[in-house]
Amino acid sequence: MNIDNTASQMRKGVLEFCILSIIKLGEAYPSDIIDMMKSANLNILEGTLYPLLTRLKNAEFLTYRWVESNSGPPRKYFSLTEKGAEFYKELETTWLELAGAVETITGKNK
Amino acid sequence: MKKVININFQGTIVPIEESSYELLQQYIESLRRHFANEEGKDEIINDIESRISELFQERLKAGSTCITDDDVNAIIKNMGRPEDFDDDENTGSTNSDKDEKTKSSNYFQGDLNWKGKRLYRDENHKILGGVCGGIAAYFGIDPVIVRIVFIVSGVGFLAYILLWMFVPGSNMVENGVRKRLYRNPDGKILGGVCSGLGSYFDVNPWLPRFIFLIPFVSFIFRWGHFGPLTFPNFLRFTFSPGSFIIYIILWLVIPEAITTSEKLEMKGEKVDLNSIKNSVLKEMQEVGQRVGKMGKDVGERMGKMGMEAGNLAKEKGADIGKEIHYATRRSSGILGNIIITILKIFMYLILGSIALGIIVALFGIAIAAIGVFPLKDFVLTDGWQNVLAWGTLIFFIAIPVIGIITFIIRSFARVKTSNKLMRYSFVSLWILGIVCFISLIASVGNDFRNMSSLNEQTITLQDPTVKSLEVIPFQNLNYRRIGWFNLEPFGTFGSTDDTAFIGNVKIRITKSPTDSFQVSILKMCNGSTRRYADTLLSLINFNISQNDSLLMMDKAITINTTDKFRNQYVEATIAVPVGHYIKIDRNFGYGNRVRFGGFWEGNDWYHYNNYNDNNYDFTYGVEYVMKDDGLYTLDGRPSDSNNDDWNKNSTGDNDSATPSANDNGSGYRYNQNKNLDSLKNVQEKQIQKMQSTVDSMKLAREKEIKRLTDSLNKAKEEINQKLEKLNKGTALDQNNCRQKFPENYSFIMHI
Repeated sequence: MNIDNTASQMRKGVLEFCILSIIKLGEAYPSDIIDMMKSANLNILEGTLYPLLTRLKNAEFLTYRWVESNSGPPRKYFSLTEKGAEFYKELETTWLELAGAVETITGKNK
Repeated sequence: MKKVININFQGTIVPIEESSYELLQQYIESLRRHFANEEGKDEIINDIESRISELFQERLKAGSTCITDDDVNAIIKNMGRPEDFDDDENTGSTNSDKDEKTKSSNYFQGDLNWKGKRLYRDENHKILGGVCGGIAAYFGIDPVIVRIVFIVSGVGFLAYILLWMFVPGSNMVENGVRKRLYRNPDGKILGGVCSGLGSYFDVNPWLPRFIFLIPFVSFIFRWGHFGPLTFPNFLRFTFSPGSFIIYIILWLVIPEAITTSEKLEMKGEKVDLNSIKNSVLKEMQEVGQRVGKMGKDVGERMGKMGMEAGNLAKEKGADIGKEIHYATRRSSGILGNIIITILKIFMYLILGSIALGIIVALFGIAIAAIGVFPLKDFVLTDGWQNVLAWGTLIFFIAIPVIGIITFIIRSFARVKTSNKLMRYSFVSLWILGIVCFISLIASVGNDFRNMSSLNEQTITLQDPTVKSLEVIPFQNLNYRRIGWFNLEPFGTFGSTDDTAFIGNVKIRITKSPTDSFQVSILKMCNGSTRRYADTLLSLINFNISQNDSLLMMDKAITINTTDKFRNQYVEATIAVPVGHYIKIDRNFGYGNRVRFGGFWEGNDWYHYNNYNDNNYDFTYGVEYVMKDDGLYTLDGRPSDSNNDDWNKNSTGDNDSATPSANDNGSGYRYNQNKNLDSLKNVQEKQIQKMQSTVDSMKLAREKEIKRLTDSLNKAKEEINQKLEKLNKGTALDQNNCRQKFPENYSFIMHI
């Protein structure tokens, strides 16, 4: 069993939750999302982020609008749809339950 | 020192070093491959490209003059390589070492790291079933080469289907080849094809050049004896002018290495036969091991089986039941797959055979044209017609063949650059070909425009009162049949360089009004002018002579390259008196009648209607007797009924006819065995006689020609005068007596 693999599996699960959470704060540009996650010490490759965003957008959890940029081509700013907000809520409850459970279980080891 | 190019990247102009541009291109291509099966793959790629473009702009604004390799590498590191996406999503900067490793192993699979390598079908880059792509990835060669090999070799089709069925497909197949087939513009002599091949296979470019040249040289030597579709010749054909065509196709199909990176790709890493051999050997070893293992396994199992045989039948029954259960479950899934696969194969089979049909038809036309081509001297006059014939062959026939083959290979090789110049030049060359073809037809048609025919000449027979007459061929011409598919219209009796024999001889049998045999001959011929047709007609040399019950006759007309073929045609009418016997030798039945018919056939054909059309059908090689109401075989069947069962009649002839002949006792039928020798004598005498008469005949002919031309000139003037008067009246008549030419031509070029 590979430690990297297990760790990345764990991260993968919460990635979508984190992205939705950042976008929930307000319209976000992908590199903003990357920066925020980096500042929270959760590094993610942009190459991973774009497909994820596209998938979420195709599932109608996200929508975007074009914003002209003075450095390069127009940017896509993502925001949450109603459906996305509901989805986020469900994920939030799941996460809280899971976090609590994990905390309870692993806390005994400390 | 590096070259900087400007690219339009996502709507902004980016100055970038050439090598960095290649790097970027490769990276985006790898992303494209990675997301090939993703739903919104274009959108993802687009997003990533815009982001990269933005990062470029940042760098340029910060003061860089252009994008360098370092910049691109840094950006790629940030964005991540495809192979990092799935397993390592967090480590942008920490494991760059590992990045390098995965990168290199993915990009250079060509190194002899065969472990864990399996043959898959390449689902990502497939054209049909991905078999070729998979094989190319497995051996680390350019898929184009595998595809061309599969298309060119006939076995390819079956092998392809088998591989398609049995090799599992995979999305993860990555062809790590960095070596591709290009034309090498630096070392080129003609198109750089051989030079490119040389650098691809890592051999001296003179080796492919030599291979291309050998058959071409031999082709020049062999052209003279070049028969179209005999099989060995056919093979020789594919390897002779074929090499020229193959070269041109390769020239058109293989891209030229223009940029430095393309040139590097062209040289690439060493992909030679050795690496292929190594992989095959490795595979063989593994198979050997597996077989050994299986043998061991089977042995163990057999032992177990022996032990189990001692166990209770009940247990065994349960086991077997279980296994059958599994087996049926497994096989039902397999069965479904097989049905789908078979349906798939059928679809492609139909499409493939249509495409193949078109190609084969084109090739057939081309080969037929080339086969007939050497005979053009017998038809065409020199000068313009020759030029037009070559133009027709090259532009009208060869150009579309090359064009279609090129198109097919290009689409198989996925060469996307649509070369407008090439397309236009193909089309314009082909139009030129059409013009050549039409003017050739018009010009040749003009040569056939006028027709001449002598009135029937009656041949005086030595002994017209013989009881029976057998017509046998005069010359001992070699009859040769070329292959199973005869395309040489003049070649039936063999042709030499300047003489051809055409079987334009027809024998008719009619009923004689008197009690003796009568033979008459009608010669016909076309020409550009009436006068020339007359001259040609007088040159038709047709010999006929009788010796007892044998009537010897030419079975073919000789044509030479100076006098040309102008539908020369001879019709011999034999009138058989009632109660007499006639047999036409089987040899007259062979041979192709050749006639060029077309729009130029004006109102001359009504000449044919001058004779009364009361001839009888007959079969060659069968003996007939003339009765009051028609021609009958010796066993009493009307000759018309023979057409249905030719074989039965001709073989049954000897059995039934001989006894009845003996019964008659009239001795009309010569004994073949006895007469063989006398026949030879007769022939020899005949030949001597012929030779002596030939000279006198030549003189006579020359006189005749003079006389004819003189009289014809007079007649022409008269006719012209008459024609002017009768112009309106005749038009109607001619329409009424349109030709009804009672012929079964086995070869008609009707244009």
